[in-house]
Amino acid sequence: MAAVQGGQRIFSPVLVAGPSPDWFNWNQLNNLIIALSFGGLVFYSISYAKRHEIFLRRIPGLDAVDEAIGRATELGKPILYLTGAHDLHDPSTIAAAVILGKVAKRAALYETELLVPHREPITMAVCQEITKQAYLEAGKPDLFKEDANFFITADQFSYTAAVDGIMLRKKPAANFFMGAYFAESLLLTETGASTGAIQIAGTDSDHQLPFFVTTCDYTLIGEELYAASAYLSKEPVQIGTLRGQDIGKAVVLSAIGIGIVLATVGAVTGAQWPQLFLDLLRDLK
Amino acid sequence: MTELPFESIVGAWVATGLTLLIFSFLYKDNPLFKLAEHLYVGVSVGYVIVKTYDTVIVHLVVKPIVENGEFALLIPVAIGMLMLTRYVPKAAWMSRYAFAFIVGMGAGLAIPRTVSSFILKQVEDTIRPLLSVTGPDSLTFSMNLLNPASHLNAIIILLGVSSVLFYFFFSIEHSGAGKAVARTGILFLMISFGAGFGYTVMARMSLLIGRLTDLIEFSDASYGRPTVWLSLLTIGALFLLARRGRAQPPDAH
Amino acid sequence: MIFLRRQLPLLITLVTGLLFAAQYYVPHPASEQMLTSATKWLQIVGGFALILGVTSLFHQHAVKIRRQEAGWGYSLVLYVGMLGTIAVGLWANGKESVEGTMTAFGWIYNYMMVPLQGTMFAILAFFIASAAYRSFRAKSREAAVLLVAAVIVMMGRVPLGEYLIPLSGDVSSWILNVLNSSVRRAILIGVSLGAVALSFKIIFGVERSYLGGGKE
Repeated sequence: MAAVQGGQRIFSPVLVAGPSPDWFNWNQLNNLIIALSFGGLVFYSISYAKRHEIFLRRIPGLDAVDEAIGRATELGKPILYLTGAHDLHDPSTIAAAVILGKVAKRAALYETELLVPHREPITMAVCQEITKQAYLEAGKPDLFKEDANFFITADQFSYTAAVDGIMLRKKPAANFFMGAYFAESLLLTETGASTGAIQIAGTDSDHQLPFFVTTCDYTLIGEELYAASAYLSKEPVQIGTLRGQDIGKAVVLSAIGIGIVLATVGAVTGAQWPQLFLDLLRDLK
Repeated sequence: MTELPFESIVGAWVATGLTLLIFSFLYKDNPLFKLAEHLYVGVSVGYVIVKTYDTVIVHLVVKPIVENGEFALLIPVAIGMLMLTRYVPKAAWMSRYAFAFIVGMGAGLAIPRTVSSFILKQVEDTIRPLLSVTGPDSLTFSMNLLNPASHLNAIIILLGVSSVLFYFFFSIEHSGAGKAVARTGILFLMISFGAGFGYTVMARMSLLIGRLTDLIEFSDASYGRPTVWLSLLTIGALFLLARRGRAQPPDAH
Repeated sequence: MIFLRRQLPLLITLVTGLLFAAQYYVPHPASEQMLTSATKWLQIVGGFALILGVTSLFHQHAVKIRRQEAGWGYSLVLYVGMLGTIAVGLWANGKESVEGTMTAFGWIYNYMMVPLQGTMFAILAFFIASAAYRSFRAKSREAAVLLVAAVIVMMGRVPLGEYLIPLSGDVSSWILNVLNSSVRRAILIGVSLGAVALSFKIIFGVERSYLGGGKE
């Protein structure tokens, strides 16, 4: 009932603006349906993963995490981990913080020093909690240092100058760049590369990917950042989420395929009905 | 010629000096860069503190409460205060309320907006008819590569989107036919990264030119030629530091 | 106690998460109003959080100065820069200029912050060249493809480039408008699915590591 109504309203935008303010924007019904179905799919996949084994292909950048931490341990040098330029509002920062937990746990097991300079105080506080928990889980709570996570400044380039300084003076053997980045990315990674550190980046900032790819040993591209915690933890909850994302991608690909066929049929025959379906795949405001 | 104000002349000397100290980083990490770096961090934090005080405390909290009686603003103030409980180990858990609020809000805001601009919008832009009707009974397939909206380009875009999306499948092994598709995806990715790289080069060069233009302006006699004198001073200092470094064993820090 | 420490924060995340997700679909002015206020609230909370950050910074450098660690003089420089800027900034009421005249705070901004920022940014010009060289040395097929695309696009954007490599302008705009935009689309779709899945897990308390502490 509602869907039909939504579909009709899409065709008659005049009706959308009624005299009294609306409590639901029917143009965004498709958005809501997509969000809810995808959410449902993710939770279904999680429960499926708890009962079944799910195959995950290799991601070289994530295999290299252990190698990087191991090398830092061998050389007796610290590990540098950055959580990006955004605050906790951005899911990519949360993803970076979750991965920090996994890296910190390994650092704790190997008893290797961890340095996490921050640009955003709330992220710093949350990362302190995550790191503390990681050291507890590793059975090394006495090695945990509150100031492993520290604040430098909220300003983009002075932060960059300071982190470059850390790279050049403390010479960490492994540098991790996770989360969102802007123009500072190359200033950080090129300096890191010059010190000979193993560098692993993971970002969804597509404009910075070219610079990470050229200067880092491994780069987790876009969605791989969100997949990293699943690979590192092997927990069914995380692996199930990835399975859900994969099904989501398959659905998107099918929708594009069907959409193109319908659009072509519409263009060739001049019929109006394909447009009805295509409107479901449009971002209407 | 009009006399420049005193603060502009001092400003030119300071700006030139700091520019040269930062540029000395290109030679190597050295005490001059360290000096500029620490000063920069200090000044930027000071700047952020003042700006936060002015916009947040004065304009978002005190003024609205005192002038308009917006007492609801005490709620975020309380949430902010909760964060400071981290200094009291026994009460530190209360800071979680603040984190929960911020993270929850971020997650809530992200879902519909991401679906709108990054899923629906992208799918909408990719769906294009692969043929069009130009006259009675004549179907056209436009091959013009230079027109991004041509049918041929629509197919190439479809190929790019699908192969790159396939590359991101995590629970499928990239073998057999899948390997070929994933490799196509990687090819598309690399071309795109190269394009992004090439596109940015000129923008970065113009930034450098902008910086050099300032240095050239400050080499003018009206400023007392700071660029000339300070360049000599910086080079001299780097030379002396290098000599001292050779004479003494390198320090650890 | 467990409820206050563990469940209540998760409940807060659930409620705020659902509320702000729902806000998007509600065109009512009240919903817009809620979003505006919440944005303001976040700014206020963020302002208080700065205290955490500054304390951390102060502490790091205080330790260095107290122990007279190597390079403690630089920490002193940092303190002077910070306290000086705060003093000058508060004196000027946080304004860079008053009635068109630059204040001392504005002077710090224009003659210290701007050149420092501009110079760090300008260093990118050198780094982009060394990064290109790094990728040139990598000698892999992927790196070669990347470099060729980079050269074509770079050439296509300057008149001289088109003179040296004919058609580079057309090829470059084709790469940017067709190939690059298709890749961007795929990356965005993938990232979105990851971000939305993570957001759902956060709202429903499946992902809770940001709260730290196991069962306490």
